Amino acid sequence: MSANGPIDRIVFGDNQFFGINHMSQDKAQERAERFAKLDNVMAVYDHAIEAGIEGIMLNSNDRAKGICDRFRADPDKYGHLRWYPSIPYPHKYASMVNDRGMVGAVQEILFAQGAKSALGKMLKGGMAVATLDAVKLMKMLVDQEMEIYHDLDVRVVFLQNVIVDLMLGYDVAEPFKAYCEHIRKKYGAYPGLITQNLPFLRAKLIEWGIEDVVICASINKIGYLMSPGVEEYEQVLAENDGTKYPVMAMSTLASGAVPPAEAYEYINRHNIQSVVFGASSPGNIRQSVSLIEPEGASA
Amino acid sequence: MNNSLKLGIVGAGRMGITHFSIANAHEHAEVTGVADPSRLITTMLGKYTKVSTYKDYKGLLKGEQLDGVLVCTPPALNPEILDAALEAKLHAFVEKPFMLSAGDGERFARAFDAAGLVNQVGYVNRWNDMFTKAKSFIEHGLIGRPLRFRSEMFSPTIIRDPGDAGWRSTHANGGGAVYEMASHALDLINYMLGAPDRVGGTSLTKVWSKQVEDVVSSSLFYESGLAGTIYVNWSDASFRKPTNKFEVFGSEGKIQVDQHGIKIFLTRAHEAHGLKEGWNQLYITDVFSSVPFYVRGIEYTAQMFDFIDAVRAAKAGEPAPVRCTFADASANLRVIEQLFADGAANAQGDAA
Repeated sequence: MSANGPIDRIVFGDNQFFGINHMSQDKAQERAERFAKLDNVMAVYDHAIEAGIEGIMLNSNDRAKGICDRFRADPDKYGHLRWYPSIPYPHKYASMVNDRGMVGAVQEILFAQGAKSALGKMLKGGMAVATLDAVKLMKMLVDQEMEIYHDLDVRVVFLQNVIVDLMLGYDVAEPFKAYCEHIRKKYGAYPGLITQNLPFLRAKLIEWGIEDVVICASINKIGYLMSPGVEEYEQVLAENDGTKYPVMAMSTLASGAVPPAEAYEYINRHNIQSVVFGASSPGNIRQSVSLIEPEGASA
Repeated sequence: MNNSLKLGIVGAGRMGITHFSIANAHEHAEVTGVADPSRLITTMLGKYTKVSTYKDYKGLLKGEQLDGVLVCTPPALNPEILDAALEAKLHAFVEKPFMLSAGDGERFARAFDAAGLVNQVGYVNRWNDMFTKAKSFIEHGLIGRPLRFRSEMFSPTIIRDPGDAGWRSTHANGGGAVYEMASHALDLINYMLGAPDRVGGTSLTKVWSKQVEDVVSSSLFYESGLAGTIYVNWSDASFRKPTNKFEVFGSEGKIQVDQHGIKIFLTRAHEAHGLKEGWNQLYITDVFSSVPFYVRGIEYTAQMFDFIDAVRAAKAGEPAPVRCTFADASANLRVIEQLFADGAANAQGDAA
């Protein structure tokens, strides 16, 4: 396994802070207003830590840097926490594509770091954009996204499902291999892949000989955001070797469609190594922690 | 894989690369060639995927033995590309808004139908589980006779000065909120209730763009007495992502639907549909369908797999119905032409 040791059974997510609510836009707006204040965000983290949580997943976005700064500022209180960043920040790139088009967006990314950066030097050295090594570019973008997590104990670096599932359709191993290798070497962390296609992704990783990768996927009893379907997930989970492909479940409540007790009962009886959940009230946080059993069922 | 459909993609922008991934994941299809003018894009695709790359559609059609083509280019380029696809007898999926003029659209609708070629346009909301459910409720008469509707769409697409670069900046290329976004709002109307007969009171307003509109509003009328409005704004920073809202008032109820949920008010219960008198709420988690492979949303896969399945059926001599044909998209273009004409007439009135 990884040099950094096993992954946390329970990881605390961050969707609740960013106005992401699949059920109601009014609710989402209410939350966005409340958590515009960093103090309110930190208060929720403090409740989570009080409830015994030691792992935190953070999506790269405008707010993530400020949150990381707060955690770094108090090592006595927060130094023991383990981090599970998920990159890249999709909205940043999506709005760049809106503004500049695909090619313009890539150019903006390339030149954003300035002439003194490694990329700037490369470009200055006469390398044409058209002949740019995409793997090298990917590593630089990862490093740029990872800057905000410096000096934190990073356990897994997840790649967002928008990228993972898009590349999965192209059916080529190299970008996945390159990403995983870079995360292991540079960050001493597990590479993680977020997907809505767990059975397909796992089959491809086995085919490509890529091991020791954390797979994070929506897992809930109603099969919401689980392609191709809940039966295929259950079959794959039953036969999965959790030491080679630790599985982290997300969307366990299926956007609120499954009550917590039922949702975690389902998680507890499957071969799932880790669970990420988000909640904002102390009561809901404590409830989730108490419902998730410390050890999952094994294969 | 020998019986796999061979597909080519023209235009590897955001939609092109999405359709590439999805189509390639279909067990009976593979993408064998991609055409795009950007060397950056084709170099990367050539290096990190298994496709052959070309700088334009001519090279693609010459270099590949294809069954079908996915056209994901700005709409001004599409007539030329579709003429070539027609000549090569290729089934075609085309991104919305398909064409710039209804006349061109209708010409291709007739020609592809006459040649027995599957033709589909990427109005993806027709594959969204909430909108298809709402449509079936309306068709089953749950809200009675539809009398008024409103179709709205909001996004934070243009929230600062976009400059003059890119195909989005002019109507000649198919840019602007009418072609790019109001087309979706109009297509939902067309899908649910049919295309309107005329429009009135159209306002096309700029917020940031210099040559094209950012905000669109208009009233739509039917000979039957049905009427409604559209309001589309792609410069609304209060929305995190593109959102459609659709409401229909009928003689026996009202339905409000977006991509994530339905609220339906009924003057009497419809037990066969599990709906009670008064308000009912359905969430996407109550009605979602599963797709074999997921990228960006269930509806994108459902749409592309329908196209692939329709082409396979056509090749087997058993043509299947298509949910959004060239003719459907052309009906939207007719309304778009009316919006531009009415908007221009109203603007002249303002100036006078």
